[in-house]
Amino acid sequence: MAGQGFLNRDILSTKDFSRAELDLIFNTAKDVEENPGRYRNTLTDKRVALLFLEPSTRTYGSFEASAVNLGCKILSNRNPAVTSITKGETLHDTIKMIESYDTDCIILRDRRMGSSRFAAEVTDLPVINGGSGSREHPTQAMLDLYTILKERGEIDRVSMGFVGDLRYGRTCSSLSYALAGFDDVEISFIAPPILQVRREVEIYLEQRGVSYTKSTELRGAIPGLDVLYVTRIQKERFPDPTDYERIKGSYVVDNSVLALGEEGLGVMHPLPRVDELSPEVDSTGHAWYFSQAANGVPVRTALLSLVLGG
Amino acid sequence: MENQLLVRKIENGTVIDHVPAWHSEMVLRLLDVEKIRVMADFSMVSLNNVPSRKHGRKDVIKLNNYHLDEGNADLVCLVYPAVTINYIEDWEPRKYRPKIPELVVGRIRCPEVNCITNSPREPIGTRFRVLPGFKALQCEYCDSLLDFEKMPEYVKGK
Repeated sequence: MAGQGFLNRDILSTKDFSRAELDLIFNTAKDVEENPGRYRNTLTDKRVALLFLEPSTRTYGSFEASAVNLGCKILSNRNPAVTSITKGETLHDTIKMIESYDTDCIILRDRRMGSSRFAAEVTDLPVINGGSGSREHPTQAMLDLYTILKERGEIDRVSMGFVGDLRYGRTCSSLSYALAGFDDVEISFIAPPILQVRREVEIYLEQRGVSYTKSTELRGAIPGLDVLYVTRIQKERFPDPTDYERIKGSYVVDNSVLALGEEGLGVMHPLPRVDELSPEVDSTGHAWYFSQAANGVPVRTALLSLVLGG
Repeated sequence: MENQLLVRKIENGTVIDHVPAWHSEMVLRLLDVEKIRVMADFSMVSLNNVPSRKHGRKDVIKLNNYHLDEGNADLVCLVYPAVTINYIEDWEPRKYRPKIPELVVGRIRCPEVNCITNSPREPIGTRFRVLPGFKALQCEYCDSLLDFEKMPEYVKGK
């Protein structure tokens, strides 16, 4: 059930996908959830390489679970400490080696920005970006959009708030690019100036006429939001630790913050969380983040099925 | 006057004028002059810090018997908008009107240190898309922006 144009396609950035293509991914993910038997063991002749050169729990785990569901063989390499990368081997050579192992697809996570695009140039195999540096995490954005679609019924007309580390968080940029393909989307970027959204993301939104605002104050931005996407603020981003201590409390999402919003306000988080999202939110109707994480499997199963022709 | 004393006119070739003072080396790097040096009848003079009516001081580069290709001319003008390029044929100058290129390939380093193009030993070049409306280049690998005015800092060295 390979979708048109998806067979052997690279998945490098959400910028590369039209709305129609995203809709096809979501429809396939929905079908995976409703008819799992239709996908089980449909790709038993395929070999998927999971090359994870940075830590990962959810992305690795859900790709692995997806590949298992589809019956793929898995070539796993998730510990850079035991690879020749530590001996100074280039990514180019690593990709060439994996290619020679009769692989059908490479899923790559690497701390260097643009690594997946380079890998896709090195090999004719389809490359799926499992997170490249602080720039892009396209499959996370796809499952984020799928979550919004399931919880809200549509992605169009969503009023979306991003709070936290928007400068170095790769989920914020990938999801912002993807949202630009939908109608009448409004985005609020809420962060201290040092962690505000990068200029290239703003330029992308401006070029596509997407309405967005930037602010430093969380509570004032809550009213009117449909979805609040929370990311962690990392202490090490601040040149002066006292700056971090001063502002960290201003970006904690708890029930008192959510009380300022609409009843249906959904809270998303790519996880893991630390202090920025209070556990008291877990038991409220605002908490979408656990189902968001669970959506990783149907969305990534859909992607593998579309790319590998299941 | 000082300029004329230092160098005579050329019969055929390219004159790159109004280069910011002491930036001629950067311009030569952009032109990949190593490739030109193997040409037998090629000669070159680079004047540094000569008087300029417009800019106070400037550099001038004269490429004798070498017609700078227009892609390289466009790149030099993108990095140094004040530069003028004249093609000389039979002593007659013809001013080149630069175009804004769509892509800049090689020559410029990505400003993002964690970009894959800055990884040691990776066999990869740089490729930037030009965003004229935003006066910036954008790395095609990592999306980082580089403002036109900062480009001289990122010209690749030899």
